[in-house]
Amino acid sequence: MHNTLTRVQNVFGFFTSVAFAVAAGIAMSVLLSPQAPSASLELKNVQVVKGRPHYYSTKREEYAHVKFDLDADLTSLFNWNTKQLYLSITASYPSSDPSTIPPSEAVIWDAIIPSDYAPLHPNTYIHPASKAKKSAKPKKKESGKPYPAGGSPGIVRLENQKPKYQITDVSGKIAKRGNATLSLHWNVQPWVGALVWTNKNSIGRWQGLQGGEAKFDFPPLKGTEVKKDDLKTETGGERNRGSPA
Amino acid sequence: MDQLIEQARTIYEGEIDFAGQRLSEFLTHALLTISGVIAFLAGFATQDIYQTLYIGLGGTALTFLVVVPPWPFYNQHPQPWLPVRTGRSALDGVSIEVDGKKLS
Repeated sequence: MHNTLTRVQNVFGFFTSVAFAVAAGIAMSVLLSPQAPSASLELKNVQVVKGRPHYYSTKREEYAHVKFDLDADLTSLFNWNTKQLYLSITASYPSSDPSTIPPSEAVIWDAIIPSDYAPLHPNTYIHPASKAKKSAKPKKKESGKPYPAGGSPGIVRLENQKPKYQITDVSGKIAKRGNATLSLHWNVQPWVGALVWTNKNSIGRWQGLQGGEAKFDFPPLKGTEVKKDDLKTETGGERNRGSPA
Repeated sequence: MDQLIEQARTIYEGEIDFAGQRLSEFLTHALLTISGVIAFLAGFATQDIYQTLYIGLGGTALTFLVVVPPWPFYNQHPQPWLPVRTGRSALDGVSIEVDGKKLS
């Protein structure tokens, strides 16, 4: 500590130790905030149609188009160390030989839900306005928040939601598969600390997810009578990724 | 010119005395630890991690300001030099040898 340079080095060196200790404390403090996520997920409609993977493809595959209702209260997943929440809904279905081949899982819808403190990002998920208010055009500017007034980022209400992704199987056949499950998954992405995945079991002050699953069967292949409008998919803000807005 | 360079060197090096070195080390540890604890508690109380960030960085900036410049209070106990000895007695008890030849 005898000259200026040594003092700069010593202060900075000890600062890194303190910063690491505080970060570790923050990461551990997450365990103190109670969690009780709950969700109700219901299948609204599922249709299987023939399609091609891309415009010039000569291959014809079966695609499932799954619509669903979601009513989730994930408010308790947002604590002071939550940066954003990655939500996804998957459809999983057993393989032809369940004893040796694990079930297949495919994401049909996902969203990145930032906390109130996260900086504004073009991928921010804008929660849909509730049905009753749909006549009045939802004004995002009003509260500056991407969710309905009086709400919270953790409350997700989707009615008759279109999927983001149509799904198919490696074999190209997905019609008439039984015993499929629609389920809600998440990743809690913290400012500092560990990435936390969906927990179904209660650990300490954290309760597991209540609900968030729905059983269904894939229907037989539909003919050509399906309207194109019924098979529309939703895109999120991330569709602009890599290209100017 | 030499005096000017000497002055520049003094400012650049910013040397402090032994008591000041002990004090500055104590202040580094105390200020940074306290600002870290306050930053965590303030952030946890308000449930806003930005409080932690800004209080922590502010405390660190304050610590740099307090510890790094050679403030006068770090130079309150200058170490006195040994008294100057002149004449032959200056080399008493000192033996200098160069290439095996004894000089004194």
